[in-house]
Amino acid sequence: MTAENPQTRHTPTPEDLDQHIQPHMVIEGIPTKRHTIDIVRKFKEEGLFRFGCLVIMTTMGLAIFGWLDHYDIYRLWPFDPNRATGNVSVEPPGFLEIPGLLWKTVILGHEPPHWFGTDNAGLDVFSRTLAAPRTDMTIAIVAAFLSMFIGTAFGLVAGFYRNALTEFLMRISDLLQAFPVFITAMILVALSGRNEFNIILALALVYTPIFIRLTRAEVMGQAVRGYVESARAVGNPQWRVAFGHVLPNSLVPSLVQISTTVGFAILLTSGLSFVGAGVRPPTPEWGLMIALGADHIILGEWWGSIFPGVAIALTVFGFAAVGHGLEEDYR
Amino acid sequence: MVGRFIAKRVFLAIFQLFGITIAVFFGIRALPADPVARLVGINASPEAVQQARESLGLHETKLQQLFNYLGVWSTSGKPGIFQGDLGVSWVTNSRVWDECIRFLPVTLEFITYALIIAFIIAVPLGMSSATKPGGAADRFTFVWGLFAGSQPEFWWGLMFVFFFFFQLNQWDLPHAPAPLGRLTPLTTEPPPITGFILVDSLLRWDFKVLFEAAHHLMLPTFTLVFVVSGAITKMVRQNMVRVVQSDYILYARSAGLSRRKVALYALRASMAPAMTLTAIIYGFLLGGAVPVELIYSLGGIGQYSIRSILQFDYPAIQATVLVIAMVSLIIYLVIDILHAVIDPRITF
Amino acid sequence: MVAQPKQAAPAPTSEYVLEAKNITVRFPIEHGADVVAVRNFNLQVKPGEFVGLMGQPSCGKSTAAMAMLGLVRPPGVIDSGVVNFMGRNLLTMMEDDVRELRGRDIGMIVQNPRYSLHPMLRVGDQIANVYRAHNQVTKGEAWKHAIDMLRMVGINDPERRVKAYAHELSSGMAQRVLIAIALSSRPRLLIADEPTSGLDVTIQAQFLDQMWDACRQTKSAVLLVSQNLGIMANYCDRILIMNEGTLVEEADVYSFFKAPKHEYSRSILRLQRAAIESGGADAAHIDEKAAPLIEVKDLSKLFPIRHSKSKVHAAENINFFIRPGETLGLVGESGSGKTTVGRCVLRLIEPTGGEILFRNRQANQVERVTDYSTNEMRRKRAKLQIVFQDPLDSLDPRWTVDRVLREPLDLHTDMTNEQKKARVIELMKLVGLEGAHYYALPREMSAGRQQRVSIARAIALNPDFIVLDEPTSALTPETTAEIIRLLMDLSAKLGIAYLFISHDLTTVKFICHRVAVMYLGQMVEIGSKDQVFNSPRHPYARALLSAYLFPSTDNRRVDRTVRETLKGEIPSPVTENLPKGCYLYGRCTSQVDRCKSAPQQLTQLSDGRWVRCWRVAQGEI
Repeated sequence: MTAENPQTRHTPTPEDLDQHIQPHMVIEGIPTKRHTIDIVRKFKEEGLFRFGCLVIMTTMGLAIFGWLDHYDIYRLWPFDPNRATGNVSVEPPGFLEIPGLLWKTVILGHEPPHWFGTDNAGLDVFSRTLAAPRTDMTIAIVAAFLSMFIGTAFGLVAGFYRNALTEFLMRISDLLQAFPVFITAMILVALSGRNEFNIILALALVYTPIFIRLTRAEVMGQAVRGYVESARAVGNPQWRVAFGHVLPNSLVPSLVQISTTVGFAILLTSGLSFVGAGVRPPTPEWGLMIALGADHIILGEWWGSIFPGVAIALTVFGFAAVGHGLEEDYR
Repeated sequence: MVGRFIAKRVFLAIFQLFGITIAVFFGIRALPADPVARLVGINASPEAVQQARESLGLHETKLQQLFNYLGVWSTSGKPGIFQGDLGVSWVTNSRVWDECIRFLPVTLEFITYALIIAFIIAVPLGMSSATKPGGAADRFTFVWGLFAGSQPEFWWGLMFVFFFFFQLNQWDLPHAPAPLGRLTPLTTEPPPITGFILVDSLLRWDFKVLFEAAHHLMLPTFTLVFVVSGAITKMVRQNMVRVVQSDYILYARSAGLSRRKVALYALRASMAPAMTLTAIIYGFLLGGAVPVELIYSLGGIGQYSIRSILQFDYPAIQATVLVIAMVSLIIYLVIDILHAVIDPRITF
Repeated sequence: MVAQPKQAAPAPTSEYVLEAKNITVRFPIEHGADVVAVRNFNLQVKPGEFVGLMGQPSCGKSTAAMAMLGLVRPPGVIDSGVVNFMGRNLLTMMEDDVRELRGRDIGMIVQNPRYSLHPMLRVGDQIANVYRAHNQVTKGEAWKHAIDMLRMVGINDPERRVKAYAHELSSGMAQRVLIAIALSSRPRLLIADEPTSGLDVTIQAQFLDQMWDACRQTKSAVLLVSQNLGIMANYCDRILIMNEGTLVEEADVYSFFKAPKHEYSRSILRLQRAAIESGGADAAHIDEKAAPLIEVKDLSKLFPIRHSKSKVHAAENINFFIRPGETLGLVGESGSGKTTVGRCVLRLIEPTGGEILFRNRQANQVERVTDYSTNEMRRKRAKLQIVFQDPLDSLDPRWTVDRVLREPLDLHTDMTNEQKKARVIELMKLVGLEGAHYYALPREMSAGRQQRVSIARAIALNPDFIVLDEPTSALTPETTAEIIRLLMDLSAKLGIAYLFISHDLTTVKFICHRVAVMYLGQMVEIGSKDQVFNSPRHPYARALLSAYLFPSTDNRRVDRTVRETLKGEIPSPVTENLPKGCYLYGRCTSQVDRCKSAPQQLTQLSDGRWVRCWRVAQGEI
C-alpha cells in the first residue's frame, strides 16, 4: 500500500488544491444545471391539473381586475358591481339571443345587456360575479397563507423542541381543533365586526392548527431520517442541520395543503356571508349574492343565485384538483 | 381494561370540555362586541344600559362572571354549570339547556340519516372501484370524491329547492315540499319523545306525520349525502385498494381459502378507517350543516346558533358550542371503542 | 392427528410434482407499455426435491413462484403457459378446483411473514380456517390441529401462542406460523418465497433446519425462492438463476458453484469467488507495531426507557483499537449493539461511559475524543467520518450531488468556488461517478451510485478513519462487490482505517484484517480474521459462524452431522431481561451452573485473541 507520510495528510487548503485545478479535471459531460419543475410537466400531461391551474389563474386575474375596478382605475365588466341600475329583476337573455346581442355590443357598440340578469335590487349579476373574486380570493388566499406561515412556524418550533412549553402549545392547538369550525368562524366574525379584515383573521385562526400539526409531524418524521444524521456527521452545527436540511424538507406537506385550504376558505367565506355572518351588502361576494337571490328562488328567479354558485363550484373544484395533483406527487 | 379506557377518555373529554368552556367564555368577551347596546338599542338611556348590564351580570369583573357562570363562588345566586345549568338566554329568557335539547335532535336526525345513507352508498361503490382499478366505477369514484368534497352545499341545496320544488311544481309533477320546516306549517308538531321526528312518529304509529316528515327531510338529507358521500367513498376505496393488494389477502388466497372467506378478511381490515372518517365528518356536520338547515328552515341547533350569534346572546352561544363539542366527543369515543373492539392492534 | 383430506389426491401421472412450461406474466400499466415480469419460464420439481430459484430483487422470481399457484398480484395477468401439478394444468382448471389444491397439496410461505398474517385475527383461527377449507373437521378439531402444528414447527407454549395476533409475534415466530399453515394439510409441494428475509443469521439457520426436517418428514418437495447464495448452496439440490424475468441458467447445485456457465451467474459469484480464492484483504502492509489510530476503552451506552427505571443496554464495556490503515470488522446479529458502537465512536450518539482516544497525526499527539467540546468535535468530523446503511436515506432528497459533496468543503475549508468544483470532480472520479451525475438528485441514481456519493462525501476531507455502518446491506450482490472493491482501493490509496460494521460475513471475510464479534451489547471475541473465521472459540462466535451460510458447497449445512445452533431467540437487551451471569446463558450448548451467576470477562488467550468465556480461557472447551 502507498502508506503516505502522515505529515503530508491534512485538510486541503486553497494552495493545496491549486495544483488540482487543471483543464482535464473540469470537463467531461457535466450537464448544465437543470431548472425543470414538475409542475410544468404535470400541467402538460394531466388534464385535471391543467383545468385546476387555468381556473386558479382566471380567478386570480379577475381578483386583480376587481381591485382595479374598486379603485376606479379600469373596469373589465359593463356595470358598476356596487350600484343598482334601476332595472330590477331582469331575466338574462335566452341562449338564442346571445349571438345577436354580442354582435350589437361588441361590433356596433350598443349599451351592453344584463348577461346574467339583475337581482331584485337592480344590481348586475354578471358584473358582480366577475368582480367577486376581489373579495373571495383575497380573503381566502391571505387567510390561507397567514395560517400557513403561523402554523409552520409554530409547527417547526414544536417539532424541534419537544418540551413542556411546546407540549402546552400542542394542547392549545388540539383544543382549537375541537371547536366546530363553521360556528367558531361565525362567532369570531359576528362579534368582532363583519368586515373583510375580521374574516381573514377568523379564517386564519381556524386553519392554523392544521398547519401546526402537519409541520410538526413532518419535522419529527424528517428529524430521524438518515440524511439528518449524515448532515451532523459531516460537521454541520445544529442550526444548519435544522434550517439547511430539516426545514426545507418539512415544508412540502404544508405547500401541498395550501391549495386545498384556499378552496375551503372560499367555501367558508361564502358560507359565512350566506348565513348573514360575512361581508355586508352590497360588497360583491359570491356567498352574499347567493343569499340575496335565495329568497326569490322559490318564486322562480333562479339567476341571482345560480351564477355565483357555479363560480364557487368551479373555483373550489379547481383548487381541489390542483391540491390533489400536488398531493399525488409528494406523498 | 375497556372500563378503564372509557373512564380515561371520559375524564379527558371532561377536561377538554372545561377548556372549551373557558376558552369560549373569555374568547367572546375579548371580541369587540357590545351585547348590551344590541339588547337595549343604541338610543337607550345610560340608566337603562346600566340596568341591563346589572341584570345580565356584566357589571362584575370578567373572572367573577366566569365564576357565576361556572357556579363556584357565585355572587349571582343562580346555579351554574357545575350545578348542571347552562344559564338563561338573554333574548328569550328561557333556559338555554332546554332550547339546545329541543333543537339538537333536529340536526342530529338529518345528519345521522345522511351519513347512514352516504355510508350505504359508499361502501359498495368504494369496494367495487377497488376491485377493478381503472374501471368505470373507479374513475367515477375518483372524480366524484374530488368534486363533491369541494362543493358549496348551501348552493346545491338551493338548486335542489329550485328544481324539485319550484320547477316540478311548475310542470305539475309530484314535487318536494316547500323548504319551510320539518312539517307543513298547518300540521302541529307532536310532542317529542326522542326528538327524532321519524322515530317518534313510528313510535306513535302515526303514519301521516311519518310520511310528511320523511317527505320534508328528503331534500336536506339528500343535499348532505350529495356532499359527504364523495369523501367517504374515496376513503373506502383507498383502504380497500390497500387491503386487496396486501400480503395477507394474497396469502389467504394462496392458502386456498374460499372467495367468501377472503372477502370477509378484506372487509374486516378495511372497515375501521372508514368508520373513523365517518365520525369525523359527523362532528364536522354538527356545526357545518348550518347553511343547509337555514335553507330548509329546519330549526336545528345550527339555526339556533346563528340566531344567538347574530343577537349576541352570550349564554346561548356558549351553550351551543359546548353542546356541539360534547356530542362530537361522545361520537369520537364511541367510534374509538368500536375501533378497538374490531382491531386488536389498538391497545386500551 | 391429521384428518383425512376431503378427497385423495390423484395418483401422479408424471415423474414431476410440478412442471411449468412457457409461463409469461404481464402487468398492464396505465398510459404506458406493459411490464413483462416473467418471460417463458420453465420449471420441473421432482417429488421430495429441494429446488432453488434465485435472482436479484424484482427480477420476477417471486412473481414466477406465485404463478405456480395460478396467482398473480393484482393487476397482473398470466398470459401464456402451462402449470402441470400432478399431471393437471392449474391454469385451465376451474377456480374452485385450483383452490382445493392451494393450501392442501401446495403450501406457500412468503416473505414479510408478519404482513402475510391477517392483522385482526388470531393466528389459531387463521391456521384453522385454512385447515377447515381443505379437511372436513369441526372447529374444535381444527383449533386442536393448529396447536399441534405450532408445536411441530418449534413454537414454545403453543397453547398460548395460538391465541396471539400477528403484531404480537416476532418475525421468526410469524414465519413459523406461516409454515404451520403451509404444512397443515401435508402438501406435496412447498413454495417458500424468501422465507428468511429479515431474520437473523442464527434464527435463519434454526428456521431452515426446521423447515428442512419438517419437509423430509412430510416428504414434501420444496421450491425455495431467494436471493441469498448461501441458502442456495446449503439447502438446495438444484438451482435456477433468473435475471430480468428470464431463466438464464439451471444446474445441479454442486456444478453451479464449481463452474457457473452463464455470464450473469459468474458476475454474481465473483465477489464470493474472490473472497474464497484470494482470501481478500491481506494484512501484510499493516504495521503491527504502529500505535493505534483509534482506541476505545470501556465504552458503554445505555438508553433510558420512558416511564421506566430499566434501560436498554446497547453497548457495555467495549474495548478495541484500530491501527492506521487497518480494517476492523464488527459483526453480530440485529440488536447486538454494533451500530450503536459505531455511532458512539464518532459521538453521533453520546456514550454513557468510557473513553475514545484518537491519535492526531498532524499534531502527533493522542487526543481524547470524549473530551472534545461540541465545536471541536464538529471540526474533527473532517477527520472522522461515517458511511451509512441506507444510501438513499442518507442523502438530502433535495440536494444534487455537487451540493452534497460541496457541503463538507463549505464547512471545513476556505476554498474558492472553482477549487471546490475541482475537488468535487476529483472526488467523483475517485469513487467512479461520471460527470453526468454532477447535478443528479439522489432518487435519480441507482443505489450503488448513491452509496458512492456517500463515500465521496466521507473522503472529501481526507479523513483518517471512517465508520462503515453496513454500507452494502441495501445493495445487490453485484454492486456489493463493486463497492467493497472501491472501499479497499480507497483504503490502500489514502491510508484510511475502517470500522466495518456488517452482518454479512462474506464481505467481512473479504475486506477486514481483524474481526470482533458482538452479542447483546458485549464483545465476545476479537481476533485476527483467520482466528475468528477459521477457528472461533467463543460458543456464540462458533454458533454464528456455523449458522452463517457461506455460498459454497463445501461442508453444506444439511450434510453436517452436528449442526451447531443456539436455542431460543435473542433476549431484548433491557436491564431486567439480561441474564445475571453470562449473557449467553440459557442459549449456550456448553453452559454449566457457574455460567448462570458469574459475569464474564474479556480474557486474552495465548494466541493473541480476546474471548469473553471463562471456560474457553481455562481451556475447558
